[in-house]
Amino acid sequence: MATTPAIQTEALVKRYGRSGATALKGLDLTVGEGEVFGFLGPNGAGKSTTIRLLLDLIRPTSGTVRVLGVDPRSSHELRGKLGYLAGDFVVNGRQTGRELLDYLGDLRGGVPRQRIDELAAALDLDLSRRIGTLSKGNRQKVGVVQAFMHRPPLLVLDEPTSGLDPFLQQQFVELVREASGNGQTVFMSSHVMSEVQQTCHRVGIIRDGTLVAVEDIDDLRKRAVRKVEVVFGSPPGLDQIAGLQEPSLTGNVLRGRLSGDADAFIKSIAGFHVTDIVSEEPELEELFFTYYAHPQEA
Amino acid sequence: MRVFWKTVRDNRRGWIGWTLAVTAVASMYASFWTSIGKNPEMAKAMETYPESLKEALHLQNLNQPESYLASSVFGLLVPMLVAVFAVSAGVKAIASDEEAGTLDLVLAHPVSRVSLALQRFGAIAAVLAVMGTVLCLAIIGLRGPAEFPEVAPSKIMAICLQLALFGLFFAALSYAAGAWTGKRIAAIGTGAAVVVLGYLADSFLPQIEGFGWTESISPFDWYLGGEPLRNGVQPGHAALLLGLAVLLAAAGTWRFNRRDVTV
Repeated sequence: MATTPAIQTEALVKRYGRSGATALKGLDLTVGEGEVFGFLGPNGAGKSTTIRLLLDLIRPTSGTVRVLGVDPRSSHELRGKLGYLAGDFVVNGRQTGRELLDYLGDLRGGVPRQRIDELAAALDLDLSRRIGTLSKGNRQKVGVVQAFMHRPPLLVLDEPTSGLDPFLQQQFVELVREASGNGQTVFMSSHVMSEVQQTCHRVGIIRDGTLVAVEDIDDLRKRAVRKVEVVFGSPPGLDQIAGLQEPSLTGNVLRGRLSGDADAFIKSIAGFHVTDIVSEEPELEELFFTYYAHPQEA
Repeated sequence: MRVFWKTVRDNRRGWIGWTLAVTAVASMYASFWTSIGKNPEMAKAMETYPESLKEALHLQNLNQPESYLASSVFGLLVPMLVAVFAVSAGVKAIASDEEAGTLDLVLAHPVSRVSLALQRFGAIAAVLAVMGTVLCLAIIGLRGPAEFPEVAPSKIMAICLQLALFGLFFAALSYAAGAWTGKRIAAIGTGAAVVVLGYLADSFLPQIEGFGWTESISPFDWYLGGEPLRNGVQPGHAALLLGLAVLLAAAGTWRFNRRDVTV
């Protein structure tokens, strides 16, 4: 990649305390500029540790971190170009959303009030209420606004939608897509596969402190198995069907699983009268589960 | 200065409340002077107290306004209130925020840890200055009505300055312990332990044979031992309180800048 990667770590190790647990065991990670990168893995795998290293909240035991080409330790100004949101967004509850956002905006050198109001309106968030009186979901919205309001070149999101209802998760997906459309880079850890599937270009899977796989979402989608159901006017024999796994014929309905190129299958049924065809969106969740459960296979 | 003003704003209710409480307590005791210190029967009653008890509680010469004010107003309740306030404010600056998990968000913004920490500590220093000033003005205002005009305003200013520095020392201590460890309990414990030991070292321990020296290592002695109400500002004591406060704040900030922020 010709441009500087948004995030680059090399042989990154993080051990807590002198004899404490090793959370990261030599992480090599590169996230390109403008990419939406999903960072997946089971709890305790090292996702939050990685994110806290990117923000300079903790310091590496060894190895290097570069965020937008800069060592996070070397410059607090770097964080002006970042937006950060944690899944458990906690702030002093005695202030209103407006007070908090004004303060955080000031720390960033000012954020247009119009932008804050637009985001709040889009999320249906009342900024005049004290944060302590808001529900978990509404508090999280305040967090979403502060992360996105200054249109940072890099968004670092740590399980950002935990506690949000499906509607808000969808709103969030839209915000990430919009950011991506603006050329912003998004680095997002998540357990919600649907939002990963809808937003990410690539995903990295971390397990036990090391990166076990990096996959392109489009490649995954192509490789993923999807269920197919075809209804015929008068069905062909099973031996005439090509390119379909586990084909079964019940009356006029053919069911089976399709992976990779669909051409052979389509050509093989093209000569028959097809009254209906249903192909499901591939579920990547199952693919991810294999990484979660069986690290050796990765 | 945004962090400084935000700290002031977030704490305004508590800080105003403490300032008013300290001033009210001090004013109340100061206005008892006419009925206690000037009362000959009270003085007679005091004479029957054992000398060591009076020394421990700083109750000697209660019939002089300087002594009365030093013991009843500035001797125990007011410095204790100021110390408790200072410790709690110092704990809040970093350790409480960190333990609540709310420090992460601010530190994810373009503000350096040193600047953030020092602005917060600076806000505490400022409120202690305000508290000292308000208290000073209130006591000066009571000189006429409460009948102790012979105590010069400059001497009242002196003791209030030493009191503010005394508070700053304890704020710096618990701030430093919190900034160093990130643990609330460590910050509270350090502050509270030094308040209690410091008080004992200045009052009861010196009564024990061979423990007289403990007085000189007590922050209470650095604050009141030189009798600022009689002798004015004690430069040595004031410098000691201020110097240690600066040193502690610097050490805590130094460590805070280098360590991991706890989850």
